[in-house]
Amino acid sequence: MSRLRNALLAGTFAGALGLGIAPAALAQELSFSQVERGRYLATASDCVACHTDIEEGGKRYAGGRGLETPFGTIYSSNLTPDEATGLGRWSRDEFYRALNEGISRDGSHLYPAMPYPHFTKMSREDADAIFAYLRTLEPVTAEIPENALPFPLSIRMSVAGWKLLFFDKEGFAVDPDQSEEWNRGRYLVDALAHCGACHTGKNLLGADKEDEYLRGGTLDNWYAPNIRGGVNGGLADWEAEDIVRFLGEGRSRHTAPMQRMGEVVGLSTQHLRDEDLMAIAVYLKSLDDAPREEAETPSQARFETGEAIYFDNCAACHSADRSGVPYIFAPLDSSNKVTAEDPSTAIRIILGGARAQQTEAVPSQIAMPPFAWKLTDQQVADVVTYLRAASDRKAGPVSAGEVEDMRAHLQEK
Amino acid sequence: MTHYTRRQTLRLMLMAGTALAASRVLAAEYGRGAGMPWSPMSGEVPYYGTGADRFFSRDERLAVAAICARLIPSDEDGPGATEADVVTFIDRQMAGFYGRAQHWYMQGPFAEGTSTQGYQSEHPPAMLYRLALAELDDYCRSQRGGAFAELSEEDQDAVLTGLDEGEIAFERVSAKTFFDLVLENTVEGFFADPLYGGNRDMVGWRYVGFPGTRYDYRDFVGHNGAAIPLEPVSLQGRPGWSQP
Ligand code: HEC
Ligand code: HEC
Ligand code: HEC
Repeated sequence: MSRLRNALLAGTFAGALGLGIAPAALAQELSFSQVERGRYLATASDCVACHTDIEEGGKRYAGGRGLETPFGTIYSSNLTPDEATGLGRWSRDEFYRALNEGISRDGSHLYPAMPYPHFTKMSREDADAIFAYLRTLEPVTAEIPENALPFPLSIRMSVAGWKLLFFDKEGFAVDPDQSEEWNRGRYLVDALAHCGACHTGKNLLGADKEDEYLRGGTLDNWYAPNIRGGVNGGLADWEAEDIVRFLGEGRSRHTAPMQRMGEVVGLSTQHLRDEDLMAIAVYLKSLDDAPREEAETPSQARFETGEAIYFDNCAACHSADRSGVPYIFAPLDSSNKVTAEDPSTAIRIILGGARAQQTEAVPSQIAMPPFAWKLTDQQVADVVTYLRAASDRKAGPVSAGEVEDMRAHLQEK
Repeated sequence: MTHYTRRQTLRLMLMAGTALAASRVLAAEYGRGAGMPWSPMSGEVPYYGTGADRFFSRDERLAVAAICARLIPSDEDGPGATEADVVTFIDRQMAGFYGRAQHWYMQGPFAEGTSTQGYQSEHPPAMLYRLALAELDDYCRSQRGGAFAELSEEDQDAVLTGLDEGEIAFERVSAKTFFDLVLENTVEGFFADPLYGGNRDMVGWRYVGFPGTRYDYRDFVGHNGAAIPLEPVSLQGRPGWSQP
């Protein structure tokens, strides 16, 4: 049971870390209103993104957003203190249990679409602060739609089996060999911001694969790239400062956040303190990765076809030599999305276009136009294949079938 | 935004023009961005002429093709309206909103107008073609012994000159207006993007050395008048976009 004790100890310590303060500064920081603290922690955890029906312009934190999972649609809960439909009757302990164990007030299991496998690492103090903040919200009466899940997943008890297999109620373990900043970064990434919910590969049952930690994951036809920043990592050629600007301002030399990551930056990370963003960056930059596998080279004819498509359609913005215009048009010679194992994100950007997320720091509009009307599946596959083969980090060819599937998905929407 | 140079800002402003229409409104308060709404897969797709639609009858098509072939002849100097398939361009235009004068003011009164006042006919272009072509063939049969398309090149040139110079008159429409319209449409069909049916294989563009629908010449800024050695490209691409 040393694991449990560890967890408890770590939890207390991490509470301080999560706040971004050293234990010495604790006394001073505690006078800070707990509600304000909770608001900040809820922002860092991006609770609002899932618990607001953004598509339909719903009230903040009133829930009802349909989350697409590979298994069906799961609707988020109302977190406002409404007696009948929200958290009005919840106690602090019940709230902590929901985050820490994925159990609702009535004792039923929550689906892991609610990222409690990450929030379980959150300290009790931090959870209590978030609870205190949520109590201050205007109560909103909002019934949540029925989940659209197939049997047997529609039975909440099925989650019990899932938890048995994949859920570790493991607290946050401080690594004493690492700096305080590093530990704080890790706490933010793992316990609050749950970056791994998207950036870590999942097994067939939707659970994080430990050995795929932050090595890239697929969600709803997006590929969230490898964000390990050490040797061979997806962000190996990013400076810590680039990560800070990407998360804080929505622009970096390498790329900008788009639809999915744009939501995270727009709702959450742009509101975080620079020292917390730097802690995240320092932590990510410490994660090395295995060397890339040798990539298959496309035929010369295919390479040249892709190059011709690129020159005629893309060079105007991304430059003939693919070096782009940093901060405006992503350099494609080193793009992590282009050379990702799973090229979904690059393909969908080319078909559907993309917009760089606006932020308070950088409110400008930049968008890439869609090419679905103009390029065939084969042509998109050829241009991506060319970019992958010509990149600093070579990656193998892409088939027209992959583009066809993505096109069908985008047209369905 | 200290990292933006002035040149980058300029380019950024240009890019603002590419902002796309959106179907979904996302409230600014969610931090998904205020300003222009945006959604994927939307954009201004160019109008593809009128697809496979046709307006001309067989005889009308033969006559128009023959007229075009004289206006931009195929000779040792280069390809002409025939290679560019200009007649298909005009046929598709007549079947579409242009042929119907759909976005012109077409109520009376219809005055003569001067040469600088543009199209003055009470007939939409498609109807002008139909009425004029019928009279043209009648004229050729009675005066030259066959429909326009069947005449020798010399006879065809003489008839076209007659239309242009007002020596031949039609009863229901102005022969001169008809001539001017066909000439204008022929030039358009020779140089318009192949997307619209003419300028087949970009022969018109190749002929004059136009590199097509490109919009960035940064790599050639220092060229000072030298030819740009680029294959022309259409909105639909070019042969180089397909693997051999
Ligand atoms: C990735 C999306 C996502 C994020 C981020 C998220 N949640 Fe949830 N949450 C859900 C979903 C979906 C449910 C409903 C699960 C179910 O029905 O089993 C849920 C359920 C809950 C519940 C249980 C409500 C009930 O009535 O049983 C609580 C409490 C909760 N979330 C709190 C939070 C807090 C606090 C945060 C931020 C720290 C947060 N959630 C962040 C998706 C999310
Ligand atoms: C809701 C899922 C989701 C979460 C949570 C998320 N990301 Fe992302 N992230 C994505 C997706 C998808 C992309 C690529 C497409 C885009 O920009 O929308 C991306 C892109 C990125 C990129 C750009 C990588 C590149 O090379 O192009 C970085 C860096 C990044 N995320 C870091 C983070 C960090 C750090 C966190 C946690 C604070 C995080 N992300 C949380 C989904 C997510
Ligand atoms: C009108 C300018 C424009 C054109 C033309 C254009 N893009 Fe883009 N592209 C952008 C912008 C803007 C972004 C998103 C912002 C950013 O990350 O710089 C982007 C992003 C991308 C990305 C994501 C890169 C990354 O790592 O985040 C890829 C891949 C991409 N473009 C490929 C292409 C391809 C292939 C073509 C030609 C078929 C093309 N683009 C044409 C403007 C353009």
